[in-house]
Order: sequence, then C-alpha cells, then structure tokens
Amino acid sequence: ACHSEKHVGQFYTLPSAHVRPLFPNGLPWRFQHQTKTFNETCIMVRQPALEVISCLKKADYSQPALRYLFYGLKGSGKTLSLCHTVHFCYTQGWLVLHVPDAHLWVKNCKELLPSSYSSSRFDQPLQATTWLRNFKITNEPFLSKIKTKERYVWTKREATEAGSPLGELVDQGISRVKSSSDVVGAVMKELRLQSSQPGADFRMAVAVDGVNALWGRSTIKRQDKTAVDLEELTLVYNLRKLMKNDWSGGAIITTLSQTGSLYTPKSAYLPQELLGERGFDSVDPFIPVSVPNYSEKEFESCYLYYMDRNWLQHPQSRTEEGKKELIFLSNRNPSMLERLCGFL
Amino acid sequence: MAASVSGLLKPWTPRVLLVRWSRYNPYYLEPEVRKEAYSRPESELSPEEKEQRQLKTLRPIKAAPNAVTSSAFDNPVLSKFINMMMKDGNKVLAREIMMQTLENIKKKQVEKYHKAADGTKEEIECNPYAIFHQALENCKPVVGLASIQKGGKYYQVPIPLTDNRRRFFAMKWMITECRENKHRRTHMYEKLSQELLAAFEKEGNVIKKKHEMHKMAEANRAYAHYRWW
Repeated sequence: ACHSEKHVGQFYTLPSAHVRPLFPNGLPWRFQHQTKTFNETCIMVRQPALEVISCLKKADYSQPALRYLFYGLKGSGKTLSLCHTVHFCYTQGWLVLHVPDAHLWVKNCKELLPSSYSSSRFDQPLQATTWLRNFKITNEPFLSKIKTKERYVWTKREATEAGSPLGELVDQGISRVKSSSDVVGAVMKELRLQSSQPGADFRMAVAVDGVNALWGRSTIKRQDKTAVDLEELTLVYNLRKLMKNDWSGGAIITTLSQTGSLYTPKSAYLPQELLGERGFDSVDPFIPVSVPNYSEKEFESCYLYYMDRNWLQHPQSRTEEGKKELIFLSNRNPSMLERLCGFL
Repeated sequence: MAASVSGLLKPWTPRVLLVRWSRYNPYYLEPEVRKEAYSRPESELSPEEKEQRQLKTLRPIKAAPNAVTSSAFDNPVLSKFINMMMKDGNKVLAREIMMQTLENIKKKQVEKYHKAADGTKEEIECNPYAIFHQALENCKPVVGLASIQKGGKYYQVPIPLTDNRRRFFAMKWMITECRENKHRRTHMYEKLSQELLAAFEKEGNVIKKKHEMHKMAEANRAYAHYRWW
C-alpha cells in the first residue's frame, strides 16, 4: 500500500488471502485465467493508480466525497487500476462497495419484476442477489458493526427493526429474492447516511466499473416490447443516488468502459462521448485520470515478468528482434500484449 | 466471337483482385521472404548462390501469398495446418482457433510447471510449438497403402511415402479426429489441445490410427511386389 513514484513499473503481488474476499468476480476475465496459470495475482504499479492513491491519502473526509474517473483507450488498463485502488482501500480498512460491471445491470436481463416499493419501477432480482452475496463476502467485518437507523418493512409480516446489524439486512435480501433490489437500495442509503456523520469510524469507497452504463441506453424491454427507461430500474436509480456528491467520509472511484456499453461507437473513449450530456452533468465536478498505454519502462517490466514466469516460450520472442516485433504489433497496449504473448 | 461478346460486357472490375494467380508462367521465380537471406554479404556466397542472385535481378518474381510473413514468428508447418483446418476460406477463424489451442497447451503446461516439485521442473516441456512439432512427428506414418489393380482385382499395397504425404496424413488424421470423435459441446481448441498433448506423450486416438496403418501395411506385406516404382 505504501507505493510511491519510485515503484512505477514494478509488479506487486496481492496476497491470496486478500484476493478471494475482495474480488469474488471483480477482476477481468483474462486476468483471472492468468492468475490461475501463474498461481499468483500480480498487478503492475502504474502512474494513474498512484495519483488516485496519493489523492486518497491526502483528502479531507469531512468534505463531500471526491469522484475519480479512469478513462483511456480500449485495453489500456483502466479496470486493473481500479482494482489496485480498491485493494489499497481494503488494506486501509475501508468499506468497499464494488460493482464489477455496471453494464451487466443494464443488458441481458432475464427476470424483470415490477418493484414492490414503487409501482413505476422495475426490479432485477438476479443481479441484486449476486451483488449482495459478493458484498457480504467482501465486507465481513463491517456487517456486524454497522447498525441500521430506520425500520424497513418488506411485506405484511416481515420487517427489519431499527438498530439491527447490517448483516441481517443483507441476509434478508439474499434469502428473499423478490425484495433483493429494495434491500440493495436500503443498504446504500444506510451506508451513505452513516458515513456522512462525523462520528463514523469507517470510510466508504464506492468503486463502479463501466459507469457510463448508468446514463446510457438500455436494451431491456417490457413484456409488450416497449423499452424500459433507465430511471425505472431500482438498481440504477439507487446507484445514481450514491454517485451524487451529497455524502461525505469516502471516495467514489469509477471507470469508463466502451466494451460493454450499448449504442456507443467503438472509437469513443473520452468521458464526454461515453457519458453523454446527462451523465456528464451528474458526474460533473470529477477528477479525470487518463490511463495511457505502457511506457517503455513499463513495457520492459511486463516483458521481464512474462519471461520470469516462463510464459514467453517461442525461441524467437526471447531475442531483440522478437521484442521489437511485439512492440510493433501490440503498440504497447497492455491487453494486446497479453493476447499476443499468450500464444507466442 | 470475342468481338461480339466484348460489346456486351460493361466496364467492370471484380471487387477482389487476385494478385497471386495459381498458374504462373514457369519463367517466374519464387519469392524469398526471410530477412536473413538478404543480409549476407557478397563474400559469403558460393558461386551457385551468386548466380541465383543475378538471376533474381533479371527475371520476374511471383507475388508472395498473404499468409507468408517475414516476421520472426513465421512457421510454415503451422500455416499449413491452419490452411487445412480452414473452412469456406475463413482464415481468420482458423487462425484464432490455432492461437487459442497454442495458448491452451501453454497454460496447461505452465500450470503443471509451477505446481511441480523442483526436481521435475526441467522435464516439463512448456513450449507449445515444440509440443506441436513433436506431436506431429509422432503421428506421421512410415509406410502408407496404395490401391493397385492387378488381374481385375484391387489390392492394398504398402508403399513408402514422401515427406509431404506423411505430414499431410498426420495433419488430416488430427483434424478429422478432433472434429468427429469428441464430445459435441467442447470447443475445437480444447479438443485439439487434448489431442496434441496426448500425441506428444504417444497416446491417444491419432497414434492408434497410425499404428493401425502400420499393421495393415505389415499384414499386406505379401503384395509389396505389385509396386513397380
């Protein structure tokens, strides 16, 4: 956690005791496979993540929460920078609210229920329950410490009293699938209120990947094939409330993502293009952090790491010419380099 | 006839122009793609090679095909295998499958390597290219059978095979085995990597097929004299 400018380009290993609880499915797909093959999780320390971490160390937490946004070309390492920052927050003992991919909440919905809380909204029980389960695994110690301040009524016979631990609320959501989206909303509201109070002993980190999903369009349709507006989805509505700056005692760290986004051109990577007007206005005072491709030093370091882990097997790839070819073919883009080294 | 037909043809160029015709005038020479061949200075060449170079400056040269590169990672055997796996000209898909196969093999071997004890680490072969070449070598039959007609009947006669033919058999058996005899829902790259790793260890269905071919040739040894070449 105490990384500084001197460590840029070096890899650091996440202890495996941290990986299982922190990222139940937060890491990118290919990175998970790489972890399994090499038997260890290694992330490179890079400039954008370091900037955000240094801001987090110096920020004043009685002020409203600061918003950080990672943006960059496709495959340049935004999600991994987010994971690096989230790991830092975890090691500092913060409560981590990690949404691995907001695009999953907005497309390919298998079950859409009308909401029990408000008649105009729609619920997504499947995604809500998965998220609650992951939240439970990540934040075990906080579930018994934080108490709810209000009384929540789920059905005529079930209610959660004020002052009961958060763990009960989360369990309620996991077991009663129909009200799980409302539970998600309740959890977010509680955490928001409690971290703003000056007496709170915990800080909250909200990490959302693919934040442009919250303000884009969705492909979900009602049964009569009319499109559903994003405001009518409970999960999206509650997450948008969290992204507003009206709470203090934490930070909001987000990433843009073109790969999962709907109805956006492939070449769009700037915040203005991907968030749209409404999104940009809602997120407005934010700290943009650009994530570029590897610099020469970082490329060297990545190359040496693969050599060390015995991953570059082609005899030609170990020569100087092979290295020049790799630089040319991948343009120093981290994901392209990873794909190329996969079969070379 | 040409005079009458050309009046009806409108000016039209095909969308895809064939640059590398399959039938060249024998006057044309083959292209030399590797970089090392050009970097050798004059003194190192023998007289035939000097003559060859002289000829290349004068005669026209065929166009190099799209799949041949001058990069260090070019591999003619691999390109042949990809071409054989290709269906309906979809080279992109065939190449993707091949790359995923190599990656899969490498992953499995590297996992085994990292989990193995220190003593056994050197014996585990991690290079997918080495495994591919060795597996193909293990699958190549030594003798093949030809159908020769003698006295109204056709006999299966064992014959020696050329190198190209043997390579062809090995690749063909590998691909047909993977396409037909495996579970329907596994991906091609998964099936191929399993078969290649098995062939590397000299087990698996393709090796069995090679042994059956050898046994048939051995059984028909008596007809070997029917071969006249």
